[in-house]
Parts: sequence; structure tokens; C-alpha cells
Amino acid sequence: MAKVLMKGNEAIGEAAIKAGCLNYFAYPITPQSEVAEYLAKRLPEVGGVFLQGESEVAVSYMLYGAAGCGERVFTTSSSPGVSLMSEGISYMAGAQCPVVLVNIMRGGPGLGGILPSQADYLQATKSIGHGDFRMLVFAPASVQEAVEMTMVAFPLAEKYRNPVMILGDGLIGQMMEPVEFPDDLRSEPTNKNDWATTGMDKRGSDRPNLVKSLFLDPEKLNEHNLMLKAKYERMQQDEVRFEPYNLDSEYKVLIVSYGTMSRVCRTAIDNLKADGLEVGMVRPQTVFPFPENAVYEATAKSGCNAVISIEMSMGQMLEDVQRSVKGRKEVHWYGKCGGEVPTPEEVMDVVRSLAD
Amino acid sequence: MEIKFEGIIVIVGNYGSGKTEVAVNLAIHHRQAGLKVRIADLDLVNPYFRSREARQILKIKDIDIVLPPERYLQADLPVLSPAVAGMIRQPSQVTILDAGGDDVGATVLAALADAFDGQAIHMLQVINPMRPFTDTIEGCLQMKAAIEKAARLEVTGLVGNAHLLDDTRSRDILDGHRFTADLARICGLPLEFITASVDLLSSLDSQRLTCPVLPIRRQLVPPWQKAAEI
Repeated sequence: MAKVLMKGNEAIGEAAIKAGCLNYFAYPITPQSEVAEYLAKRLPEVGGVFLQGESEVAVSYMLYGAAGCGERVFTTSSSPGVSLMSEGISYMAGAQCPVVLVNIMRGGPGLGGILPSQADYLQATKSIGHGDFRMLVFAPASVQEAVEMTMVAFPLAEKYRNPVMILGDGLIGQMMEPVEFPDDLRSEPTNKNDWATTGMDKRGSDRPNLVKSLFLDPEKLNEHNLMLKAKYERMQQDEVRFEPYNLDSEYKVLIVSYGTMSRVCRTAIDNLKADGLEVGMVRPQTVFPFPENAVYEATAKSGCNAVISIEMSMGQMLEDVQRSVKGRKEVHWYGKCGGEVPTPEEVMDVVRSLAD
Repeated sequence: MEIKFEGIIVIVGNYGSGKTEVAVNLAIHHRQAGLKVRIADLDLVNPYFRSREARQILKIKDIDIVLPPERYLQADLPVLSPAVAGMIRQPSQVTILDAGGDDVGATVLAALADAFDGQAIHMLQVINPMRPFTDTIEGCLQMKAAIEKAARLEVTGLVGNAHLLDDTRSRDILDGHRFTADLARICGLPLEFITASVDLLSSLDSQRLTCPVLPIRRQLVPPWQKAAEI
């Protein structure tokens, strides 16, 4: 397929269609409303459905219902809307329903602002809802990567029978970039007849499937949670993704940064290299699981004096970076959280001050 | 072939067709030709990448920019400055109105119907055939009809803005030119001009073009890129 110029929000919508997802339930909120606008036009063309819920709470249970029937389904929202969905997401995690959730983050807390932010990192990676659960969280840094991650999210959600989140900041949704779509992945979910309410007649079974998150027997609930725990451990083992940048050099400072913030850092690293200062970067592409080993190994370089987490939040990823560095090097933080994206010059100043 | 408009120019088109980049570069082009230029950001529907982002360069170039009051610039609200109706009634030598995307974004123009009454205007539809929904003649015609209905104004000319940002090749511009010229013929409207990034200008075979080219120096860039120098 030829390259087209697309807004991130439009491209995420198209990627879901290309991944064979024809069910989209959502409620509009800036800066991701273009997904709904795009899919309201596109889904009817391919026999799909967009239904706007009366709120994000309703949407989360529409997702639960559709996912429980074994349908590919997804939603998009932004920070305050995602908070509203948290109860339904917890139910889907408990009942092991595959679903793809897209959070195009805006500033917070509360209504915050409509400009880009990465302030939902902890919510996404540690605890998006009540109960003991985790989900795979992808963090795209370009529109092309948002497309690829959205397409791979559906089969992974089905493989693990778990929610998968695409965590992008407002810029990922709003900026336009040329994109190319890989071939369609319109396969049917392979394992849905084993667990989903696909219909006994339809699947030729004499046993009903039950989708639930209620386990009143304490032993059963403990057993269920141990099984979920093992699943999250498998994700941590098999699904870590990251991109190294300039790690072959004799870098003095190591940056850890993700999403569009990492692109500012990349420009800063290129400029500093031209000035004679080498800086390396580990860019997490999954923030759960976090690329702990990659960060730890990158700090082994003898000339590396310091590590810095650069993010559009007040140090939410910093805790994961500190955990990964294990005290081997000093760990610093730089960021903004009002909607302004730090400039390459600001990043360069901070990094220079750590190099000596 | 030269690009020279006088009076009111209304820029419309689908989401992401490049209206704002065209409006900003068209404003600078006319200012550099010595004309007095005023531009208004009428984008009430898009939260990011509006002509207000280019306000610094417009001010430096001595172009008058009409915006909502500073304190509402980042509001997620449709704020229309009352100064806009005034600037339509008493236009500067060149007055550019940068509307929002699609028919939804053009609706604001209908609200200014009283001010437009009796004024001759150029309403230019910007078309990037490398965008979804305007990659076919049919799609462009649908968009044109929807915008005209919402704006209660008629499109008077087309602008070809074929590009893929940094991935644009000169072939894309020539293909886009052919597409927009075909569309113009079908609509019975002039193809006023096409655009090309300055670094591609020299590679364009101008013999094959039937209209002038507006050189684009990109101003609306993500935070990790620098705006082109003007």
C-alpha cells in the first residue's frame, strides 16, 4: 500500500480496521476525538460498527460485553475518560477478556488541559483499576509506530486474554506523518471458542462458556490470581520492547525517554554529538513490561556518569528507571507537565550539566 | 505565472489538507510582495497546529494577526474574536481567513454571513490527494459540497497541496498537480496554484505545470524540528 499522510488519531483508527477489529465504542474527548470522527465514516464502509456510549463508564461495559462474546473490540479516550473506564477495565482483566485501549494523554490532574502529557504513566503501568492486575502497555513515538503497535495489540490481547493499552501523548494523536500500513491481519481470534460466549450451537459444544470476574471462594480467587500473576510474568519475560539510540558511543549520560518526548531527546542527542558530547538513550517501546535489563546494562559503560529520566510528567517513569539502575549510577529527572513539550535546547542544557 | 490575490481570501478544505500552512505561507508571500496583509485564525475545531502557533513569525513579518484573546488561546472552546467581522467589512489589501477543517470547521463562516454580504471573496479549497477521503475526485467533490453548504459560500478556486511532509518526492507534486487540474476541470473552477516545499522547487519541471507554485517554508512543525527560515 502506498504512503498516505495521516493524523495519529486517524491512523490508529485505520490500523484497528486493518487488524480486523470492526467494533469500536467510545466517547469523545480532546485530543483524541478524531478517532471517532474517522471511524464514524470508515467503519460503515467495511461493515463495522461505531457506537458512542453515553459515558466512558458505559463504554467500558460495552467493551466487556463484546469482548466476552469473543469479538475484537477497542476504544480510544484521553486521561479523564480513561479514569472513568477503570472499573470496566478491571472487570475485563479479571474475566480475562482481550480488549485494546488507547489513551491519548492530556494534562492533568482533573480536567487539566488539552495539550500533550505523559502523566498517566503510573496509572497505565501500575494500577489502572482496583485489584491485582497488569496489562501490556505500548508507547509509540511516531504515527507509523502507533499503527504498528495498534495492529500487534489485538493478537497480543487475545494471546494473553488481557487488556492491552496504547499509551500515546496528545502529539501522537494530533500530529500528521506519512504512514504505510502493513498487510491486513484480518484473521479470526483463534482461541475464542475455548472461553468466550460464542454460542454452543455455533461452536458445536455441549458445554457453556462462562465469562466472569466473581470468585466468592477464597481458595478459588487466590488460585485465579496466581494464574493471572503467572500470565503477567510471561509478559515481562517475552514482551519487553525498547529502542537503543547511540549506545555504541562512549556516552557520558544515559537518557531514558519514551513517546514523542524521546524524539525531542533524539534531536538533542544529535545536536550534542555535533558539539562533541556523546549521549545515549534507551527508549522504552513497552512501558509495562519496562525494559529493566536494557537500562541496567546501559549503565555499565564506564564513562557513563549519570542517568536521567526525561518525561512529560513529574517523575512517574523515574521510579522504574531508579529500580532498573539499582543504585549503580545517580538517577536524575527532567520534565514538564503543563502541556508544553520541552525543547531540544532545554534538554541539551540539562544533559550538559550532568556530563561533567 | 504569479500568485497575486487582493481582497478577502477564505481558506477551506478537509482536516489536515494543509490549510494553515498554506494560509501562513500565502500571507508571507503577499507581504513580501509589499502588500498589507491581515490573517485571522478561524479554526474553532482543531486543538493543535493552528495558525496561532505561527503568530511569532507572522508578527516579525509585519503581518496583522487576529486571534482570540491570549487567555483563551488554549481553551477547548470555539472562541470567535469579534474583530473578525470587522476585518471582513473593512478588508486590508489582502485579508486571509484560515477556517477549520471539513464542513464542521467551515460552519463558522456561515455565522459571519452578515459581514460577507456584498463582499467579493476568493474561497480556496486546499486539496492534498495523499490524505484519506480526498484521494479520489468523488471524495473532493463531496467535501466541496459539504463545505459550501456549511459555509453558505461557494468555492471559487482550488489549491493543490500534494505532499507527504519530509517524504515528498517531486513526482508526488506532479501527480498531485494532474489530479487537482482534473478536479478543477470537472468543477469548472480555476486551479489557482499548487504548493511545493522550497527544497523541491528546483527539481520540478515547470514546463509540465499549468499554474503557479507557492513555495512552502514549513512553519507548523513538531517540537523536535525547527521551522523553516523565512
